[in-house]
Amino acid sequence: MIKFGKGNLRVPQWSRRVFMVAGGCTPFRKYFPEYKLEELVMMGYKMMLEDNDLKLSPKEIKDSIQYAAYGEFADHFQDQLLCEAKIHDYLGLDPLWNTGIKTGGATGGAAMLNGCMAIASGYADCALVSGWERMDEVDTRAGNFYIATAACKDFETRMGRIYSSYYAPMANRFAEAYNLSEVTRAKVAVKNRGYAMSNPNAQQPGHHTVEEVLESRMSAYPLRFLECCAMTAGSASALLCNEEMAYKLSDHPVEIFMAGGTHTLRVADRRHMEIPLLPNEEPGQYDELLKESGRWPGFESFLAARFAAYLAYRMAGVHDPLEEMDLVELHDAFTISDIQTYGDIGLRPYGQEPDYIESGDAYFEGKCPSNLSGGLLGTMHAVGATGVWQACEVFWQLQDRYDYIHGDKKWWDRAGKEKPADWKSLQVKDPKQGLWISHAGVGSHVTCGILRKAW
Amino acid sequence: MTKAYEGPLTTKYIGTPNDLFDQSDDFWVINWPRTFTHHHTYGLLTPFFKGLTEGKLMATKCTNPECTENSTWLPPRADCPDCYARTEWVQVPSEGKIYAYTMLDYAGIGIEMETPYWQIDVQIDGVDTIFKGWLKQGKPVTGMPVKAEFRTENPTHTILDICWVPK
Ligand SMILES: [Zn+2]
Repeated sequence: MIKFGKGNLRVPQWSRRVFMVAGGCTPFRKYFPEYKLEELVMMGYKMMLEDNDLKLSPKEIKDSIQYAAYGEFADHFQDQLLCEAKIHDYLGLDPLWNTGIKTGGATGGAAMLNGCMAIASGYADCALVSGWERMDEVDTRAGNFYIATAACKDFETRMGRIYSSYYAPMANRFAEAYNLSEVTRAKVAVKNRGYAMSNPNAQQPGHHTVEEVLESRMSAYPLRFLECCAMTAGSASALLCNEEMAYKLSDHPVEIFMAGGTHTLRVADRRHMEIPLLPNEEPGQYDELLKESGRWPGFESFLAARFAAYLAYRMAGVHDPLEEMDLVELHDAFTISDIQTYGDIGLRPYGQEPDYIESGDAYFEGKCPSNLSGGLLGTMHAVGATGVWQACEVFWQLQDRYDYIHGDKKWWDRAGKEKPADWKSLQVKDPKQGLWISHAGVGSHVTCGILRKAW
Repeated sequence: MTKAYEGPLTTKYIGTPNDLFDQSDDFWVINWPRTFTHHHTYGLLTPFFKGLTEGKLMATKCTNPECTENSTWLPPRADCPDCYARTEWVQVPSEGKIYAYTMLDYAGIGIEMETPYWQIDVQIDGVDTIFKGWLKQGKPVTGMPVKAEFRTENPTHTILDICWVPK
């Protein structure tokens, strides 16, 4: 059994506090021929500058930025190396230093973490984080192959050339080990796609039934099309600050605590290891479970997510996430990966993940609702933008601005859509803090970020 | 010294004109074809791929007495991540048990097996990892014994040179 080095378990400490003061995004679409990539990034960036009740003008903010962290998943999709340089110039930010970040599906989260590090270290007092992906230059099957090159090209890619086939074995394994029904999985898709109905930027909103999900086309058994996120073109931006700059810019800044974890790219290479325990877990708690499954994380769980939460909860002084988080945004690229994560981040103990859905805790007005944004299943997975956009969605909730961002006619017009007559507000009542997970590979990189109201 | 050509020049366009894939009054979307071949090395893992064409399943093992784990790796790796020693090649049994599986229905472009087919993850005695592969015939169940078949004739020189059948 693999045991972790004491030094490896050190909890990160920012050298100074880090805050988020603004967010912005584009509408998200399968095909976005009206705009070039840099034009899409500008659209989300301008929303960040102009629509967050900031106390300085967009020009004054632009003049305050000292650093940019850029997230882009795959050069394959953009078919352009050094996109960062094109975008940075397009946003008029030369000669400020920028870093391009690539950690698969967690690229957006990793860009946020990188931006936090720039603030925490003192490199910058005001940093831009922006992510993007334009997955519409190739058709869906070619796109699936590109994504599958984020599995091991020697040992895995040829086995399916589609990412659902790397999650599907986990779904079957999880179903047998932890008694997960297809219906519970389908409920995740119904829930998140349903919440996307309230989001003007959503790519795949829909009021579906469990039956529709289970009757939709099979991708890799047991995962059906409606259980998988789509490919998206779009962008998202966030503005991070140190304490002084945060209150100069905003009366409603949000503090960030954030950490990441990693694990093997190939699921095959996961060896049996000790479970890093969350603050509310007891030594020995999982002995019975391990007797049955024989190995952890096996194909059931994600070491990377567990380790990210292990660190982030300690950074933020969180004891019980279910009780202390008012909402979460999880990386629901597939219904199964969403469910697997519930145990990793302690919304339920390992083995009881399905209960987070079945109990109603995960729903709007439940104990700790998840993916009110519509998530990746309902709203978007423009990969490099995703982890940035998820942070924005939690941020707007904490600022009590869900209704403006999702309900104002201006955004429905921008997306070229009619606001539905039955549009429903999903604003959580008086939220104090929320969490978002950004996740790559079959759990190769995961970030866990906690946003806390700071006014 | 090589000199720049100094004569008169008339330059011709010798490319292939790009078609429009989509257009409206406001935008053009062009076709941008991409075809070329990469040359990919298997490096120190070459004995594994060579082994498949000879009907052998080769793994690597860390035999360093100082190592805390001495794991056996399949997929193999040349360097032990626990102690950084160079690993040794060992032949492992070409049989195992199914740990997980999926039926692949909708595959990405370039798929080399007819769909649908079963993708399986195989647990092999003495191996610390769980090896991904495909089932040539039969229907998988967790725990089902399987044995390997090797494509020794007309090999693909890829991981697809091994597949599994019920034992
Ligand atoms: Zn070793």
